[in-house]
Formats: sequence, structure tokens, C-alpha cells
Amino acid sequence: MIVLLLTKAVPARTTRVITVGGVLRREEMDLVINPLDFKALQAADYAKRFNGGKLVAVSMGPDFKVKPLFNDLYLQPIEGIDEGYILSDRRMAGADTWATAYALALGVKKVLDVNRGAVDELISMVESGELPERVLQRARELYELNLIPNLLYTDKPGAPEGAVQRYAGGRSSREEVVEALKRVRVELERFLIVAGLKTSDGETGSTGPQTAEALSDLLGRRIPDITHVSWFEVDAETGTLIAERKTGSYYQKIRCSLPCLITILPDYRPEVPPVSRRKRARAFSYRSKSREVVVWNADAIEADPSLIGLAGSPTIVGPGIDIGGVPVQKFLGTTKVFTSKVEKFDFNGKTYGPFERFQKVEGLPEELIRELESKGLVKTFDLKDLISEVFGGVLAAAKH
Amino acid sequence: MSSQLQSIEVRVEGYRDVWVYCEHEEGKLTRATTEVIAGARKVAEKVGMKVVGVLMGYNLDDLLMEPIYYGADKVIYCDDQRLKDYQVLPYTTVLSEMILELKPWALLFVTSEIGKDLGPRVAYRTKTGLAADVIDLIVEDFVMNLPTGRYIYKDCIAQVRPDFATRIAKIFTPKHRPQISSVRPGNFTPLPRDERRSGDVVRWEPRFNDDDFQVEILETRKLPKSDVMLEEANVVISLGLGILRDASGRPRDPREAYRMAEELKRVVEEKFGVKVEIGSSRALIYAQLKELEGLITKDRQVGQTGKTIAPDVYIALGISGALQHRVGMQRSKKIVAVNIDPGAPIFQIAHYCVVGDLYDVLPRLIDELRSI
Repeated sequence: MIVLLLTKAVPARTTRVITVGGVLRREEMDLVINPLDFKALQAADYAKRFNGGKLVAVSMGPDFKVKPLFNDLYLQPIEGIDEGYILSDRRMAGADTWATAYALALGVKKVLDVNRGAVDELISMVESGELPERVLQRARELYELNLIPNLLYTDKPGAPEGAVQRYAGGRSSREEVVEALKRVRVELERFLIVAGLKTSDGETGSTGPQTAEALSDLLGRRIPDITHVSWFEVDAETGTLIAERKTGSYYQKIRCSLPCLITILPDYRPEVPPVSRRKRARAFSYRSKSREVVVWNADAIEADPSLIGLAGSPTIVGPGIDIGGVPVQKFLGTTKVFTSKVEKFDFNGKTYGPFERFQKVEGLPEELIRELESKGLVKTFDLKDLISEVFGGVLAAAKH
Repeated sequence: MSSQLQSIEVRVEGYRDVWVYCEHEEGKLTRATTEVIAGARKVAEKVGMKVVGVLMGYNLDDLLMEPIYYGADKVIYCDDQRLKDYQVLPYTTVLSEMILELKPWALLFVTSEIGKDLGPRVAYRTKTGLAADVIDLIVEDFVMNLPTGRYIYKDCIAQVRPDFATRIAKIFTPKHRPQISSVRPGNFTPLPRDERRSGDVVRWEPRFNDDDFQVEILETRKLPKSDVMLEEANVVISLGLGILRDASGRPRDPREAYRMAEELKRVVEEKFGVKVEIGSSRALIYAQLKELEGLITKDRQVGQTGKTIAPDVYIALGISGALQHRVGMQRSKKIVAVNIDPGAPIFQIAHYCVVGDLYDVLPRLIDELRSI
């Protein structure tokens, strides 16, 4: 089973955000993996270990920033991701959720296409009567590229021989190998996409459902999404997912067919897959992790240039409005603040100011601070000041 | 430079009315829905349009007039057994078809599990923009300066949403219609229910796709009701494990801190007439202290596995501020942190930092507030 994790690199600190005209300049900020995505990773990891397969992370963002972060996803205490894809292109910058969903869906489709293509190629080789040795050779190549699972070809010690290997060795019929190949092919259609509930930068939670919708368009079939999932079980064998989700003041337990997309609630607790699934999981697992993260640009995913980035975004972020000023830190009992508005003035040949009431005193010479203090223009920030600043604002906001 | 640009006025024609997707539970509109109807009125009156309530579900007869009683001018409803429970695919299909045929100018959802699922899908399918978690709606022109001219998109909705900590952002959908938003509860006051109001009620016949029914509901369970309204509070006073000891390291009865927090809550509510709620860090809840049983409950948890909130003021008492906690409150407009440890990570994001003993600071804070 292919489990796809949608993930995003977000600004590490929301107090130091760089935007140009409302568009985040991700390439100029410290980024981290969106915290809620780690819950999604645990969920995706559970789904993969339960069924076997591979966990593929797909992300959009500047590749040189996102790539190092993918290490965190490979190196989780759980098994972590097996493959990583970054959609990176200046033309994709400034995307809103619509254009992001479109690009992510194209990325997901391409991952699926590559894996489908590998199995389809083997099926047509066998069906067209290609020499078994040639099939075996190709299967080995595809296995080494992590494109076909152990069920078809394996080099794992102690694992049952792969179907193609048995076929090439004359130990099974053509019908049997085709059946195994088709079983894998069916499994590829039963994929699961997992996303975090929302990102810490956009906070919209819209990209998950919109990616399911975008992928529905691309694949020509409706892919449902289930948001706010707190518990789930997914079985690629039957192609069903059973999930619990919160909606309104209810918990619902629902059954859904695969493929589907789920977004994970922060309350989610991963379970341990039962031992009885181990054999199955191994058969459908792939050779190893592909540590080389793949970067695709807009052309590689065949994106319509008018539907990506700013151009493809129906929404535009207007100029932001500061409602509380830049976050300036004030420490009770140590920070010095101006007690009233002070106009521009000269001191020792340099010009200072103007300063606002309650403005923090920063970068002024000690001597000047002492003089301002003696004039009562500067004081140490105290509890009364804190109350008037903090609650003065509340009062204004409540009245508004 | 922009003054030399030629001004070009753009109007997106052919779309009318402000729709509200009406959520209902047990035969009643949800309170948040009645708030959004009030928000829709504000916008619709500005541009001379109607407010239309959209109802979907099964056995809706008793509900049909409710949106009108709460301020809508008209109701469009789709009553079908297959819509008995909310499911994303059939609901998306029905609502998208309504939109493509009837061409609303705007469509407002509640920010809820349904609004945050149906809204994005419908927006994608109808190829328009979505602004999530909106706190206000203002009608204004959107101006875009391009090398080819100064484009003025007339009468757009500025969909106001909180943006990084101390800012708000206005989201515009200038070229596409409908302009879709999800509106956060607690930002508009519902209009009084008035049974004398009247309006058209129009039935919509649904058409579904074959693959719209892939989801089956196995079980529905009502969640225990909670009175704690962290998301709606203007001020949140949160307690962490730091309340267990004072500056000298002496163990303190956590009930003492809780009582002080309650006292602070009372004073702020009285003095400023705002909503105040008591929150908690995950650590304090999971400590399962006997003393705080029934007081510090799971529904008070702020952070990654609890609630994400952005009140006007967040007061962190004895909370060290692990990343998981910070993601749940860092959008608060003003953050006050009281902690003994000057190296506590909460001080990285607090606007007002009090390095000290909360058992000493809190009584002084309460006294000062009382004396205002």
C-alpha cells in the first residue's frame, strides 16, 4: 500500500515572518516541519506497517530549505518516511490553498504513475511472452528502484521467493505471476493520503480536502476526504478504511472505500499493528528507503502554469494591518519605557526620537537614559504599566 | 509611480446574493450559524443584495423558516434521505451544482468541522477562492497595481483573518465568484429571532454522481457537553506545572493558584466586561492532581493536542512553554508570562515577561486591577 504524507515546511517562529506584499518569503526564513504533521506521520506510519508498502512524503516549497527538514521525517523513532518528493519552483511561490492543492495533487499523481508504470511494464512483458530471464532482470532493476514490492521480487534473507523469481526459475506458471502482478496493481489503486489537521502558518486546514478534490479531477474518480480523524484502521486487502472523526458535537464512526484522504486530529494515538499482519506487510513492502529526496519543478509534474503559484490562486492577501504593533518584549522590573511622548531631540551631537508613550528604551547611551530618568521621561516598566498596556487594549477590542 | 498608472475599474458581473450554509443539529440552527447570518446581513446590506440561507439534510420541514427568522431573506433547501448525515462528497456535489447554476456573489460557512471540510471542497470544485477562519467581513474595493495599470476591483469582501500574532490580514477573492469564507464563531452577534419575518423558501432537487456514496456511517455518538469556551474568551488565564512550587521551591497547594486564577478572572470580567476562561497546559492535566480534579479538565487544554486559541490576552502562569503548547496560543494578541525560570521558552514569545513567583505576582496583579 502506498501511503502518502502531505507535509509542509513552516516558519519556525511566527514572530519573525518575512513577507513581501503579503506573500511569505519562505526561502529567507528558518523553517521547520509543521508540528501537526508529525501526528500525520505517526498515522501514516501505522497505516504502512499494518499493510506493508511505503510511506512517501510530498511537500511543496523551496527545495534547499525543505530538503534538510526531510531528514527529520526519515529519522523518526517509528519507521519514518521511505521516499520524499519536493515540488519546488519559483513559479509555484505565493500559492494559496487552491493552487497548492492543485500542485500537490499533480505530485501525488506522478508518484502513483511511476509506481503503476513499473508494475504495468512487467505485466505487459509477461503477457507479450517476453523471455522469463528478461522479466527477471527488469524486475530486479525495478525492485532496486523500490518500485515493486517483495511479493514480486525480493533479496531479503528468509523471505519467500518473489513471484517473478519463481516464474523465471520455472517454479510457477505465467498465470500465477500475472495474478501476483495484478494483485500488486490493485493494491496501488488503494492508496491512502494522510495530512495534518492544519499548518501552523496558514492555519486554514483547507489544503487536505482541496487536494482530495484536485486529485479527483486528475484521476477522474471521486476521492473522499475524512477530516478530524482521531482513530482509524485501514486494510488494503479489503480496500476499506474505518475511522472515527469529530463533527459538530458528535463522534462518528465511518467506513470508507480506498483511495481516500484523511486529516489527523492532534489527539490521535498510533497503535501497534498486530503480529498477524506481519507476513502480509512484508510481502507488500519495498526493498529499502530511498534517501535521495527527489525534487520536481512545475514542468516535471506537468502543471498548467496558469493554475500554480500566485497566478493560479483565486485569493490574494491584501496588505496586513498591525493591530498590536511589532511584538516588543518588556520585562517587568527591568525594561525601561518612556512615560510620555517625547519629540525629536539632540544629545551629545546626535539626534534621537521621537518616542511614543510606553515605547521600550532600546539602544540609547546609558548617560542619556539616566538623564531621561531624572526628568521623569523614562521609568522602569512596572505592574501598573503592564495592566494599562495589556488590559487597555482588551477594553478597546471589546468595545470594537 | 502608481499615480501615472491608468486606473481600470473591474466589476465581476452576473453574481448576486450572500449565501449562508446553515448548520443544524437536532432540528435547530447552530448558534454559530445564526452569527454568520448576522455577518452576511452586514455585507449584503452594503451592496444591496439578499441573504440566502442554504439548508441541506433530511426531514427539514420544521427548520425551513429558521434562517429567515434569524435575518435571511430567502431559503434554498435540499431535503433528501441521502443527505441525512453530513458526508463530504454528496454535499459537495449538491452545493456546487447550486452555486454553478444560481451564481451567488458570496458564500459563508461556519468555521467548524463541516465548514472546514465542505467549504474547501466546494471552493475547489467551483474554482473559486476560500478564506478560512474569518473574523470580520468588510465591503471594499481591492486595488492591484500592475505594470499595465491600476486595477480596481469594485465592491469585494475584505475577509479579515488573524495573521501572525499581532497582525490581521485581509483576504480578497477579486476575480472569482462566489467569494467563499468560513467565519469563526464568536465574532458576530446573532439577530434576535423574529417569527414575523417572511421570505421565499425554494426547494432544490439534488443530482448526485454515482461515486458520491463511498462513505457509510457506522455509529454516531454524542460528545459530552463542555461549558469551557476557550475559543470564545477574550482573555485566557492558563496554568502550568509551575503552580506546584513557589520561588523557594516549597510545594504549594495547586488549588491556591487555581483560586487566584479564578479571582483574576472575576476581576477582569467585572472591570472590563469581557469573557475570561481558565486554560491549562497539557502537563498539568496529565499530572491528574487530586486537588484539581473537576477543575483542570481536558477541555481546558491549550496546545497541539488541545485547543488552538488566539485571545486578545493570554496569561501563562507557571507554564514553561514547550513548542506543543506554544503552537496552541502563539497567535494570542498579547501574551503575558509569569515564570520563575528566566530561561523558560515561553519568554521567547511573550510580549510581557514577569520573571518571578506567581504566588507573589498574582495577588499584586489582582489588587492593582481591583484598584482601577
